[in-house]
Amino acid sequence: MTSRPISRACLVLLIGVGCVAAMRSVWAQGPDVGTEAQRESGKQLYARYCAQCHGEKGDGEGYATPHLYPRPRDFTTGKFKVRTTANGALPTHQDLVNIIRRGMPYTSMPAWPKLTDQDVTNLAYFITTFSPDFTNAERVPQPVPLPSAPSATDESIAQGKKLYEETGCARCHGTLGRGDGPSAPTLKDDWDHPIRATDLAKSWTFRAGSSREDIFRTMSTGFNGTPMPAFVDALTPEQRWAITDFIVSLSGSDGPGYSNLVVARHVRDPIDLAKGTASFAAAPAARLPIVGQIMEPGRAFHPPTTSVTVQAIYDAQSIALLVRWHDMSAEKTGQNGPSLPVPPEEEENAAPGGSQPAGTSPFGEAEAAPEGAPQAEQDPFAEGAAPSQASEFSDAVLVQIPSEAPVDARKPYFIFGDAQSSVDLWFFDLARADPLQFTGRGSADIAPNDTGDVTGVASYDRGEWSVIFKRPLRPASAAPFAPGEFLPIAFSVWDGFSRERGNRRGLTQWYSVYLEPQDVPSAIGPMIRTALLILAIELAVVGWVRWRYGSRARGELGEPRQPTATHA
Amino acid sequence: MNILVVLAVAIVFGLLRFRRAGLLAWAGAWWVGVYVLLRFGFSAPIPASVVSLYMGIVSIALLAYVSSSEERRDEVSRPLVRFMTEKRYTALLGATVLAIPALAAANVYVRMNVPLEPPLFSRTVHPASPSEITVHDKKIDLDTAENPFLRLERTNPGEFRTHVENGRRIYYRNCVFCHGDDLSGNGMFVHGLDPIPTNFTDGTIAGLRDSFLVWRISKGGPGLPEEGGPWDSAMPAWEKLLKEEEMWEAILFLYDYTGQKPRAREETAHQ
Ligand code: HEC
Ligand code: HEC
Ligand code: HEC
Repeated sequence: MTSRPISRACLVLLIGVGCVAAMRSVWAQGPDVGTEAQRESGKQLYARYCAQCHGEKGDGEGYATPHLYPRPRDFTTGKFKVRTTANGALPTHQDLVNIIRRGMPYTSMPAWPKLTDQDVTNLAYFITTFSPDFTNAERVPQPVPLPSAPSATDESIAQGKKLYEETGCARCHGTLGRGDGPSAPTLKDDWDHPIRATDLAKSWTFRAGSSREDIFRTMSTGFNGTPMPAFVDALTPEQRWAITDFIVSLSGSDGPGYSNLVVARHVRDPIDLAKGTASFAAAPAARLPIVGQIMEPGRAFHPPTTSVTVQAIYDAQSIALLVRWHDMSAEKTGQNGPSLPVPPEEEENAAPGGSQPAGTSPFGEAEAAPEGAPQAEQDPFAEGAAPSQASEFSDAVLVQIPSEAPVDARKPYFIFGDAQSSVDLWFFDLARADPLQFTGRGSADIAPNDTGDVTGVASYDRGEWSVIFKRPLRPASAAPFAPGEFLPIAFSVWDGFSRERGNRRGLTQWYSVYLEPQDVPSAIGPMIRTALLILAIELAVVGWVRWRYGSRARGELGEPRQPTATHA
Repeated sequence: MNILVVLAVAIVFGLLRFRRAGLLAWAGAWWVGVYVLLRFGFSAPIPASVVSLYMGIVSIALLAYVSSSEERRDEVSRPLVRFMTEKRYTALLGATVLAIPALAAANVYVRMNVPLEPPLFSRTVHPASPSEITVHDKKIDLDTAENPFLRLERTNPGEFRTHVENGRRIYYRNCVFCHGDDLSGNGMFVHGLDPIPTNFTDGTIAGLRDSFLVWRISKGGPGLPEEGGPWDSAMPAWEKLLKEEEMWEAILFLYDYTGQKPRAREETAHQ
């Protein structure tokens, strides 16, 4: 009875599917912008999930925009970073789907794992409605050929290193890829916002993904709207793969491997600051994530520093900490301080370097400006003329430990302490020769502390600051470092180029530093003792059992019943 | 409760009951079963010291049971005695005698090489709020305070939506970095924060009064009592940056976006 309506329904369905298939093949050459229904559904999702950043009109002017850097994409321009298509071309539908699905790490553009494939497809179609280019039959995106990867070898890495310098990547990205090339401080995107060349030694922060295929694609097709060029024509695929292998080798690991513990290793020779970073060769390195100081007014929504790497050693008298981080340029002029004021208006301009467009010299210690001389904010002639001008704010770094070793779980507030429990701040303004000390009882109450316990040295090399702090293990009036014990520790980093000072900075939460005892007890002794003891007990038990039951049991091999029991 | 584990253990116990296993096997299975339950049966892990305490009790109970009558004692000891005396088991016996000290030595090694863990502090996630707070020189009684915009939902839906929209703007300008784009606590800074920012979509805030939220938002991490670990929480004290009204609007948005309602006052009164 029911078979007829069903078969009729099937027929209708078949015809429908046939029609759709036919239409698709007609459109296959045309723009792939989805159906009316798909775009409509995308519109609903967009209003809920995307408009707050990308704007109702898709122009990148959402609620969040004033505090975001990089700024949300303006979809009306049709300029997209992550594409398989040629420089200047639109992304394919699949490119959009991929980037929505994966998001862009270390930016506010999130990944969307919880949206269904259907949702993401519809969103990608809806985004195309903001720019007329997507329906322009002449601009239909064509993927460029991206041949598959040969395997990486030591030769390809070496060749890649050579090509990397010859091709000019180093001009922007720096010789070791730390984003410190000579042109880096001058880069702007198409909307005239300052932009930084990516730190290629941190592959986990790559917007377009960190797999070899991702890097190869980025290099081949470039990032539209940014200074990052496309090299699909300039370099052969082999050359691009070689550079890719070199870039992968720069990071040293797939992920950041963030830690929560700095282990200080004991050294026999007295610590000598003059030896610099060489003293730390044997100390394990801990990478700690830096987040924006967005808890107190004067916020930094996008600090350019994303992590610090810390190593520590101690001798009989003192402890030394080596703090390293990547910085596009060393600001060794101007001034900085943990309590310099930041006007509230500046929060609205989250872009690094936003209010200081002209470049500063990456290696500019030669041009030291007169100390504290006020900086002409925007000299119209400075733009092209002076590639190296003194910065208003210098780079700086800070180590924070509690003033008193905590007796229980209680710690001072992680941002410069609080009224009840203060923190000891070791502050190094990198425009000066020596670190300073402060006592913090909250951001608003930071007082100089002139015990002069802390000494230090700093150096900047090819995009990386290395700063060493040294302090007696047990000073007269501060928390002692004791072998075998943990002490809370936190860090802050200021980038003078981005006008970071005072509350505007990157910081870490509390982590711990642990002084590994001089002699780590070996496990061998206790292991042998335990094994022998247990063996002896076992042998005694077996021996006793054999002696007690052996004669009787022997007589009854294979005989399941035992005579011993059953009475009493 | 970890249902799968509990089920598996229950099934094994059931099988033992029906297969009439020997007393030794039975005792061994109980010992192992209880251990597995304690170790893996609960979603919130039980501390190792508590587990060993329980296992000690279980061992004593099992020993007491198996030695409670001559018959039982015998049933248990017979297989053991045979294992130790019969010739055909000699190789196995030798292997066992060597394996046990080896395992014990390995255990010593593992315990002496536990990865270093910084001291832990287990914070109370929702400590009791004070009964009154002062925000921008205005006293708010947390027992009676309610979101002033909530009743507009019925009386003036248009204005209600305006306030929700304001809350949305406030959220995406201020909170998104930590609490995330979809409010699930996965903002771009979470990899550097511990405790991690609250996930508003998992039903937590439906169990809270909106006055509790206004306390947490205005006073932030530093406003927590000791048991909340105020020194570690990155939650800002928003009274430094937002007006009271804006905080209520943000709360309105949190509930509206996640489709939840604040816990009503009557419910609290019952507790
Ligand atoms: C919290 C803010 C925020 C939200 C919410 C957000 N985005 Fe983005 N989005 C960004 C930012 C910022 C960028 C630019 C990142 C960059 O330039 O490196 C971006 C970039 C993009 C791009 C461009 C990628 C490219 O290749 O250039 C697309 C496409 C995109 N977003 C789609 C979406 C969609 C779809 C949604 C909603 C499901 C969404 N975004 C939600 C902030 C956001
Ligand atoms: C004119 C300056 C410039 C040159 C030359 C340049 N880049 Fe870039 N590159 C940039 C900028 C700027 C960005 C960051 C874009 C952004 O933030 O959206 C970038 C980003 C990247 C990224 C990271 C993309 C991501 O996923 O985040 C890679 C990889 C990269 N470049 C590789 C290269 C290689 C390889 C070369 C040389 C073959 C090169 N770049 C040459 C400016 C440049
Ligand atoms: C710097 C990161 C950060 C920002 C920005 C932030 N929060 Fe939080 N928030 C946290 C963390 C971490 C917690 C969990 C720890 C705690 O309870 O203090 C939290 C907890 C909360 C809680 C308590 C929830 C509960 O279950 O007790 C509320 C409510 C809250 N945040 C609201 C907000 C609102 C509203 C904003 C924006 C106006 C905001 N947060 C901005 C980090 C942040």
